[in-house]
Amino acid sequence: MAVSLDRRTGVVALLYWIWDGIDRTIFAGIKFSFPARFVSPFGFLGMLTFIVFIILGVSGALLMFYYQPILDRAWDSVQFINDDVPFGFHIRNIHYHGSNAMVLLAILHMYYQFFSGRYKIRNEILWMTGVILGVVTILEAFTGYDVIFSERAELAISIAASLTTSIPVVGPTIRDAALGSGFSDFVLRFYAQHVFLLPIVMIGLMAVHFPRFLVFDVPMVMAISGAILITGGVFPIDMGFKFEPTVPPGVTVPEWYLTGIYAFMRTQYDKFVTGLLWPLIFIASFVLIPFIDRYKKFSWRERPIVTAFGITSLAQIMVTTYWGFYISPDVSIPLVERLVIDPIFFYSTMILMVPLGFGFTYMMIKLANEAERKSKLAKSNGPQKVATINLSEKWINWLLIALLAFQVFLNIAAYNASLTGMKNISLFFIGVILLVFAAFFHVYRYAMSQQKNAPPPPPALVPDEIPKLVESDVPKPSELDVPKPSELDKDVSGEKSEPKELSDIPTPKVQADVKVDANNNTNLGSEDLKKP
Amino acid sequence: MSEVGTKKSGGLSRRDFLKLMGAAGTGLAFAPFVPFGNFMPNPNQASLEKVPVILPDGTHANMNTYPINHSEVITYPSTGDPALDAEAFRKWQFIRLPEEFGGANKDLNAIRAYSMICLHLWCLWKYWPDDGRKRGECPCHGSMYSPTTGTAFAGPASVQAAPSNTLPRLDFEIDSDGFVFILPPKFDVNQNGVIGYGRFA
Repeated sequence: MAVSLDRRTGVVALLYWIWDGIDRTIFAGIKFSFPARFVSPFGFLGMLTFIVFIILGVSGALLMFYYQPILDRAWDSVQFINDDVPFGFHIRNIHYHGSNAMVLLAILHMYYQFFSGRYKIRNEILWMTGVILGVVTILEAFTGYDVIFSERAELAISIAASLTTSIPVVGPTIRDAALGSGFSDFVLRFYAQHVFLLPIVMIGLMAVHFPRFLVFDVPMVMAISGAILITGGVFPIDMGFKFEPTVPPGVTVPEWYLTGIYAFMRTQYDKFVTGLLWPLIFIASFVLIPFIDRYKKFSWRERPIVTAFGITSLAQIMVTTYWGFYISPDVSIPLVERLVIDPIFFYSTMILMVPLGFGFTYMMIKLANEAERKSKLAKSNGPQKVATINLSEKWINWLLIALLAFQVFLNIAAYNASLTGMKNISLFFIGVILLVFAAFFHVYRYAMSQQKNAPPPPPALVPDEIPKLVESDVPKPSELDVPKPSELDKDVSGEKSEPKELSDIPTPKVQADVKVDANNNTNLGSEDLKKP
Repeated sequence: MSEVGTKKSGGLSRRDFLKLMGAAGTGLAFAPFVPFGNFMPNPNQASLEKVPVILPDGTHANMNTYPINHSEVITYPSTGDPALDAEAFRKWQFIRLPEEFGGANKDLNAIRAYSMICLHLWCLWKYWPDDGRKRGECPCHGSMYSPTTGTAFAGPASVQAAPSNTLPRLDFEIDSDGFVFILPPKFDVNQNGVIGYGRFA
C-alpha cells in the first residue's frame, strides 16, 4: 500500500480526522511539546513518573492474570509467575523495578520543584496534590511488595497493622475496617487496595496535579524504561522465603523508601509517635511549604532558609534510610541489641543534621555566587566557545544504520537468552535495546533538525543585494522562490528567463545570509534564552 | 440578606429556614448508609460468644483431667472453615500453670490463654514446661513471655513500649463439673487486648 504523507488520502486522512477530533476532547487543554533537541530531564521528571505509572499499570494487569490473593497460595502463585510462566520473570521484574523507579522519580521530581521554587505563582494546589500523590505512591509500592506474602512481606504487614492499631481512639476500628482481622483478610485487602483503590486515588489526584504544559521526550522515556529493564537484568528480584509462622525469619529490612521510618521505629519508642507522627509532621511541613516560603525569588540561591530546610530534610532522609538498613553484622551480640537503635544517639544525630544542613547550604550559595561572578568576568573578556558535535549527513546515515544493526543483533540475543533460560540476561539486552532506540531517536531527531537548519535551495535571485531584503524583516517564501522581474532587472541585465543557471550568484553559507535569527528561527528552544 | 430577614421576623428568615431544611433532608437521606460501614470489618472475627474450650483432640477441657504445667493450642473464634481456623490470628496457647504459680488449684487462677502471635513480628511462640524454662518462647527472635501475666520479660518484644509488650488474653468460666468455657472477649487494648498488637497489663 502506497501511502504518501503529503497527500491526505486513505489512512492518512483517517488519522488526520482522528487528530482533528481530539480538538474536542480534554487533551486539547493540555499542551504537549515534543522537544526537537536534548533538554534536561529535570524539567519533566513528573512526566517520566507518569510514564512509569503507565508501565506499572500494564505490567501489573498482566500479573493479575496469574496472581492469587489467597493466604496459602499467594507466594506460590508468584513463584509460578517467576519460574514457569513464559516471560513471567520479565514482567515481574519490570513491575518490581518500575515501582522503585516510580518512587525514586517522584522524590527527585519533588525536590527539583522544591529547590527551583516552582510551588509559587499559583502552583500551590499542584504542589500540595503532588506531595499527597507521592505519599500514595509509596503506599501503593508498599502494598505491592506485601501481597507476595514472603517473610519480608509478612514483617511489613505486621508493622503496618500495628501502626494502624496504634492510632489513638480510632486506630483499632480503622485497622479492622481497612486491613481486616487476620492473615487471609490482610492478603486479600492489601491486594484490593494495591490493584484498585490506591491506583484510582492516584488517577484522581493526577487529574488535579497535571499541569497544562507537558514535555514528552521520547529518547528520555525510552532511556528510563531501558534503565528499569537493565536494573532488572543486573539485580533480578528474588522470591524471598515463603512465610511460615513457626519458622524463624531471617533478619530483613523493608524496601528502601521505608527504611527511614523503620529506623525511627527501631528506637522502640511509642509506635504511633515514631512510626506515624514524625512522618506525618514531615509530610505536612512539605505540603505547607508554599505558605511558609515568603521569599519573592525563585532561585534556590535567593531563598537560603527554604533551601537549607530542603537540604536538611534530604540529609535526614539519606541518613535514616541508611540507618534503617544497617544491622550490625556481629552475630555475637544479642539480636535485640543489633536491632534496637539507641534513641538518644539517633535523635541527637537528627538534630545535628539541622546546623550541618544550614551550614552546607550557606556554603553552597557562597560558592555558587562566586562561580557566577567569575563566569561573568570570563564572559566579559570574550565570547565563550561552546563545544558542539556536528555530524555530516553521510555520517548521520551511517550512525543510524549501525544503531539499527545493533538493535537487530540485540533482539536476536535477547530472544536467544530467554529461550536458553538466561532470563535476566534477556531482560538486560531488552533494556539495552531501549537505550539504543533512545540514541537512535535522538540522532534521528538531530538529523531532522539539521535538515531544517540547512539553507533553503539556492534562492537564485536574492543576491548580493542584502539591503534590498532588509526592508522586510522576514523574507517571504515568495521572495525566495519566485524571481521578481524588478529584481532580475537589477541584477542580471536583460536576462529574464533563466536566472537559476547563473553560476556567479553566491549561495548563502550561514544562517545570517538568509536572515534567519533568533526571532524567526523555528528551531530554537527555551534554553537558548539568555539566563538572567 | 439574612440580616434583613431576621429584623423582620425577629428570628430565622424564611430563606435560612429552607436552607436548614435542605441540609437536614440531605443528612437524613444519607443516614441509612452510615451502618453500611459495618461492611468493612470481617464478621467472622466479630461474632463472639461463650464457647467451650475444645482441645486439639476434640475433647472439652476439664480442670479435673487437664495436666498441670501443660499447654495446648486452641482455636478461637472457631469458624468451621479449616483454612480460616488454621490462621495464626485464631491460635491461642491454653496453659495450666505450674504448681508454684498456683496451677494445682481448680479455679480460674490456674489457667491462662494468650494469643500465640508474638508481639514483635508475629511469629508463633509456645509455652515450654521444662524445668528452668516454664515460659513462653518465640522461635524467631527469642522474645520470652511470663505465663502468669503474658508480659514479655526478655527479647525484642520486652523492649517495645506498652501495650505492645503484653499478650492479648482470654477470660474463662469453670462450671461445677470442672468444664472450661471461654467468655466473649472484647478485643480492645484496655480489655482483652488486640491480637498482634498487645494489651495494657
